[in-house]
Amino acid sequence: MDWAGWGVFGLLATMVLTCVMIIAQMAGLTRLDLPLLLGTIVTPDPDRARAAGFFVHLAVGQVFALGYAATFALLGQATWWLGAILGLVHVMIALTVLVPMLAGVNPRMASYRSGPSSTAVLEPPGLLGLNYGIQTPLVAVVAHLIYGAALGVLLVPR
Amino acid sequence: MRTDQPPIEDYGLIGDTRTAALVASDGAIDWLCVPAFDGVPVFARLVGGPRAGTFHLGPAGPALVTNRRYRPESATLDTTWDCPGGTLVLTEAMVAEVGGQLLPTTLLVRRLTARGGPIEVAIDFDPRFGEHHDRPTVRHRSDVVFCRWRHLALSVQASGGLVIEPGRPVTAVVTPEQPLTVAVCFADREPLIHVPPAAAWHALERDERRWQQWCRDITDDLPHHRDAVVRSLLTLRLLTHSPTGAPVAAPTTSLPEQLGGVRNWDYRFAWPRDASIGVAAFLAVGKDNEARRFMAWLLNATRLDRPRLPVLFRLDGRRPRPEREIPGWPGYAHSAPVRVGNGAADQRQLDGYGWVLDAAWLLTRAGWPLHGETWRAMSGFADTIAANWHHTDAGIWEVRGDEAHHVHSKLMAWLALDRALRIARTRPTPARRVRRWSQQRDALAAEIRERGFDPALGSYTRSYGSTDLDAALLVLPLLEIEPPDSPRVHGTIEAVRRVLGAGGPLVYRYTPGNDGLPGTEGAFVACSFWLVQALARTGRRREAEELFDELVAWGGPLGLYAEEIDPVTRAALGNYPQALSHASLVQAALALRDAARAAAP
Repeated sequence: MDWAGWGVFGLLATMVLTCVMIIAQMAGLTRLDLPLLLGTIVTPDPDRARAAGFFVHLAVGQVFALGYAATFALLGQATWWLGAILGLVHVMIALTVLVPMLAGVNPRMASYRSGPSSTAVLEPPGLLGLNYGIQTPLVAVVAHLIYGAALGVLLVPR
Repeated sequence: MRTDQPPIEDYGLIGDTRTAALVASDGAIDWLCVPAFDGVPVFARLVGGPRAGTFHLGPAGPALVTNRRYRPESATLDTTWDCPGGTLVLTEAMVAEVGGQLLPTTLLVRRLTARGGPIEVAIDFDPRFGEHHDRPTVRHRSDVVFCRWRHLALSVQASGGLVIEPGRPVTAVVTPEQPLTVAVCFADREPLIHVPPAAAWHALERDERRWQQWCRDITDDLPHHRDAVVRSLLTLRLLTHSPTGAPVAAPTTSLPEQLGGVRNWDYRFAWPRDASIGVAAFLAVGKDNEARRFMAWLLNATRLDRPRLPVLFRLDGRRPRPEREIPGWPGYAHSAPVRVGNGAADQRQLDGYGWVLDAAWLLTRAGWPLHGETWRAMSGFADTIAANWHHTDAGIWEVRGDEAHHVHSKLMAWLALDRALRIARTRPTPARRVRRWSQQRDALAAEIRERGFDPALGSYTRSYGSTDLDAALLVLPLLEIEPPDSPRVHGTIEAVRRVLGAGGPLVYRYTPGNDGLPGTEGAFVACSFWLVQALARTGRRREAEELFDELVAWGGPLGLYAEEIDPVTRAALGNYPQALSHASLVQAALALRDAARAAAP
């Protein structure tokens, strides 16, 4: 497996993914803010949470990149389109399983069952993150396609 | 069988902070949407006609309601009837705290208790789904009945083995030894969790104790009508959607502002204005967490539109769907149309910025400094106002097609800049930005004084150049744009009382019918409380207290307020209960408290 490529390009691809998400957020396309959602697990201050969440997201992205590198090694090829297909699978898992699961992990995120004693202030993401704006799934798909395609181009299938 | 619909004020509110039901004094739940306030109606006879679903639980024969009240400092409602052979009590609530337990997200619990002898009761459980009143697919498992529609399911079970068939009224006898408890569990897009009646009742009792604790945490120094204030705060909390923190303006759609009229709007949305007023109300009674949650909701909800502040949001933060009328729904007391969605979402309103920045200032002043992101959002709103205050807007009353230079909107725009400047003094802010806000604030104040005041009337007016009045101007003494004892402030209060007074303590928001729609409307509850607040803030405490006493007496029998009151019949009008009315009651009581403190030696 391309360990060196995984170490370097995994980080690079995750940074690109994060940048795409932040640009989409700044452009008013989505309210999904992954560094904030991850960082508020450790701190309630949004600014500190974003900084902490950025590094958590890098680590999570690195773990996913391992899966990409392993798949490329197993298939014996790494192309942009294969990476993009994996990116599509990745984003589907993220939107349908991982992001909704945050409500159970992040003590500052409310759930649909929250009651009056809840002090959680982050709204739950809802199905496919739609609570964060109707274009959220689209933005997430684009970001992960770029992430996957980048890894497909940069990693070596060995 | 009913011949007439009960008056609006006859309905009690039970809720779980995710959705709420309205129950009439005859024991019929005529309004409930699940799983959220803006969800699918399951019982909608209130505005949807007899086929729209109801859940009646009460005496089988004619009976007189002898007592109806919320249990002290709780959200549990008791209704007592005098029946032949004894007394019957209906106790009901929805379970709010379901987290960490295997309970359904929506759990409705109702119990009938007989006293003095056995009493025959009637049960009519007729849930219907959505706009077309679809009947459910029904399945039985022992004495539990399951109803299913597309993504929604419910289970209903009564104690004592009684089987409740949807759409088939049934009678039973309740004895003093054996109360009849009914549990209804709902599931929307998730597996149904069925809870037997006994367990549901225990959940209700636990929840009641939690509400009592919540009420006990309210500050003690509320000398004036503490019960009314606590009921209003509790109602505000019941109308706050816990999963998102959004304050729903009212749990209903299209309760009419005139019986038989067309002023029927959907209020199952969240207005930033209501959240901001809620911040002030909760902060002042020691409920800081609730206040901060409103600000967190504002921050989440506005992220896509900043630095513009939308007029209203769906509870999940999404944009409202276009307003439309539901065909075939007759409306409350034949007040058609019944609308869903709210066309005001597309309006431009300047006043919202003022409410929001004032709330941010109140939090700052209370020792809750704004996070960096919150301040960036607030600064953006202030920038928007600095650049746009000279435009016309739709105004606080959201009259369709009436863009004008509304004086109230200009005052609130001034408030936005003033409060932004106050917050800026507590944290590093670029000098150029502060200068711009300061210049624009002063220019706006000068324009309001020159173009918004009519010397002949001795009052500020509804809009520039107009001689109409606007009861929203009663917030004037709170803003500090003019000293509270200034002749302009006094003149405005007096002019509003003289021209818009509706008799007694009541005030119309503007001259009735002056909004381009046929018909008229009732007196506006929030404005009536704003009058109390204005008098209290301008040194007329005695008058304010008298009006407040009267207004409390004008409330519904359960202490709930709709948007409006008919000054002749005393009937509640408009969506019910309305968060703005209750927040205004709290603020008026707080103004009286502050006035009393100031007068104390």
